[in-house]
Amino acid sequence: MLKGFNTILVKELKELIRDPKILIGMLVLPLVIFPVLGAVLGYASQTAIEQAQKATLLVVDNDQGNWSTTFINYLKSTGVKTTVINNTSPQQVVAQELLTKNNSTRFIEIPAGFSQNMTAHTNGNPAITATINVYGAFQGTSIFSDIGSTATNSIINSYNRVIAPDVLYTTQSTIIKGQIQKGIDPATLSGLMITQSIALPITIMIMLTYSMQIAATSVAMEKEEKTLETLLTVPVDRFAILMGKLSSTIIVAGIASVAVMIGYNYVLGSMTMGIPTATSINLVNLGLVPSAFGYFLLGISLFITLLSGLALAVIMSAFAEDVRGATALVGYIYPIIFIPAMALMYLDVNSLPMAVQAVFYAIPYSHPIIASKAVVLGDYLTVVLGIVYVAVFTIVIMYVASRLFATEKILTAKLRFKRRGIGKRQEQEE
Amino acid sequence: MSIAVDAKDLVKQFGNIRALDGLTFQISQGEIYGLIGPNGAGKTTTLRIISTLILPTSGTIRIFNQDPVTQAAQVRKIISYLPEEAGAYPNLTGNEYLTFMAKFNTNNTEELKQMTEEAAKICGLGERLKDKAKTYSKGMKRRLLVARALMTQPKLAVLDEPASGLDVLHAYHVRQIIKNYVKQHGVTVLLSSHNMLEVEYLCDRVALINKGKIIVEGKPDSLKTQYKSANLEEVFAKVVGYA
Ligand SMILES: Nc1ncnc2c1ncn2[C@@H]1O[C@H](COP(=O)(O)OP(=O)(O)O)[C@@H](O)[C@H]1O
Ligand SMILES: [Mg+2]
Repeated sequence: MLKGFNTILVKELKELIRDPKILIGMLVLPLVIFPVLGAVLGYASQTAIEQAQKATLLVVDNDQGNWSTTFINYLKSTGVKTTVINNTSPQQVVAQELLTKNNSTRFIEIPAGFSQNMTAHTNGNPAITATINVYGAFQGTSIFSDIGSTATNSIINSYNRVIAPDVLYTTQSTIIKGQIQKGIDPATLSGLMITQSIALPITIMIMLTYSMQIAATSVAMEKEEKTLETLLTVPVDRFAILMGKLSSTIIVAGIASVAVMIGYNYVLGSMTMGIPTATSINLVNLGLVPSAFGYFLLGISLFITLLSGLALAVIMSAFAEDVRGATALVGYIYPIIFIPAMALMYLDVNSLPMAVQAVFYAIPYSHPIIASKAVVLGDYLTVVLGIVYVAVFTIVIMYVASRLFATEKILTAKLRFKRRGIGKRQEQEE
Repeated sequence: MSIAVDAKDLVKQFGNIRALDGLTFQISQGEIYGLIGPNGAGKTTTLRIISTLILPTSGTIRIFNQDPVTQAAQVRKIISYLPEEAGAYPNLTGNEYLTFMAKFNTNNTEELKQMTEEAAKICGLGERLKDKAKTYSKGMKRRLLVARALMTQPKLAVLDEPASGLDVLHAYHVRQIIKNYVKQHGVTVLLSSHNMLEVEYLCDRVALINKGKIIVEGKPDSLKTQYKSANLEEVFAKVVGYA
């Protein structure tokens, strides 16, 4: 055995375990993040299922034969809430916004000739099959957004089993921004979007945490290397010191924002997913990538969020005495960055319960992620409101930071806390 | 002669610790004035108030008729502060550090050059100024910082324990720097120390400070005569009642 190894190991462990920063970082955070994330996901799936059950299925009957009637009756017998309309083309359904009016997100069309084909098939002509056209509106990205369409498809398949195998086929189409995209399965599409919507949140998380570390370090370094005190007595505006520190990190973060935008654009534009049967899905052709204006807004959202993170990091590090302390302090913000980011990778913020939504909107760091989804759908209002909110938040934080730099607190914040503790002990001894 | 520092009834309360308890003193222009006292006496606190870093809880203070509380920006232009524990940026060279600091005091390239050259001369680090500060010994760093504090020819230099913790040679060098520079340029100096001999050697006038109060003040020689002591250490011991 290595001589002295045990002694050192025990001492190291003692020191690590007794350091509350490490204890919190290593144990408490994971124990908090995952249950909270689990609760959010569970809650969301619950709501999604309930909504799918409550949702109305719009049935457009353009056949009006005996088979379409039995099919509709079968649908009703399975407990699906259905609303039937006759003789309307899918284009008309979309144009007249019948989905919204019927409080639904999908419809099926029973095309003319349906009964004829069914009759032919059951009368011993197996080559002839019938088709039902399924249309789903694309609503944004969430792993639960296709619960409804999965349910619809499985009902149609079960009808197949009741009548005859292979009699009934479906075509899948997605309604994107008021346009019917034939042959694109909403479930596949939302799956594809999810794969991509993971890229941005992860990048944002890395960028935020990384630049916050840099900002915190640059203030803490001044304390650790004992250069701050001197700097505070030279003829320079205190605000200039703060802004100098922020700006250098902002420049780095700004370059990073642009790089992220370029990379994200590349991912969205280049990524196509082949579907074995039909044509491949191309997001650019579907209009599912942000417009130039959308990218612009997204960039601003990202930048301003970074700024708020940096300012907060600077404030927090002012309370630390050295780099290690600052890093640990800033680490306390990570859960509120990670939890929404991770949840929003898989969920659409609108699919969350109101209370959770409110929390997510209140956390500035979720806004670029919410924005990344909103710009795709052309929902610029959400993005702009988010930017305004984060900007206000940032201004408040910056104000606090500049106040902090203007007073002796920047020097004594932590010191005072510590000395007071010692002072009390001394008093007790007396 | 005009008054460089005028402090009246300075009180500083940190929570329930009274760091300064009614400190009053005056420094004339061109004087080297020393605050001496044990650790925790309130020396650093006093110097920090004068240097606009912290605010007094009560009392008034004027630096060449300017108030560090309400006119901090003006005061910062005429003073230079050397903190008790100070460092240089580890990844900047000594020269870069001096230039960086000098730029806060002048925009003029000619003046900038004069200041940094002056500093190079004062600190005597020679070629080592081209090396990064992280390669410096504690003594070299202190010499660099003392030179930084004096190169701007401040009207008042505030030096907190300028030579403490240094080996004999570096400490000697630092004291020489201060003594010579002040003679040449007529700078007013307020310094603190817990080294009585150092203070005796450097200062025109000293104040013995204990528990946030000045207990005696005067020229080193007259204090020694008054208390019939061989050195200031003895004076201090007699005044606080140890001897
Ligand atoms: N930032 C602070 N917070 C709380 N107490 C402080 C702070 N700075 C100094 N003190 C206390 O004030 C007293 C005087 O300290 P200081 O001025 O540093 O003494 P000196 O420089 O003479 O050793 C000490 O009791 C010290 O603990
Ligand atoms: Mg001190």
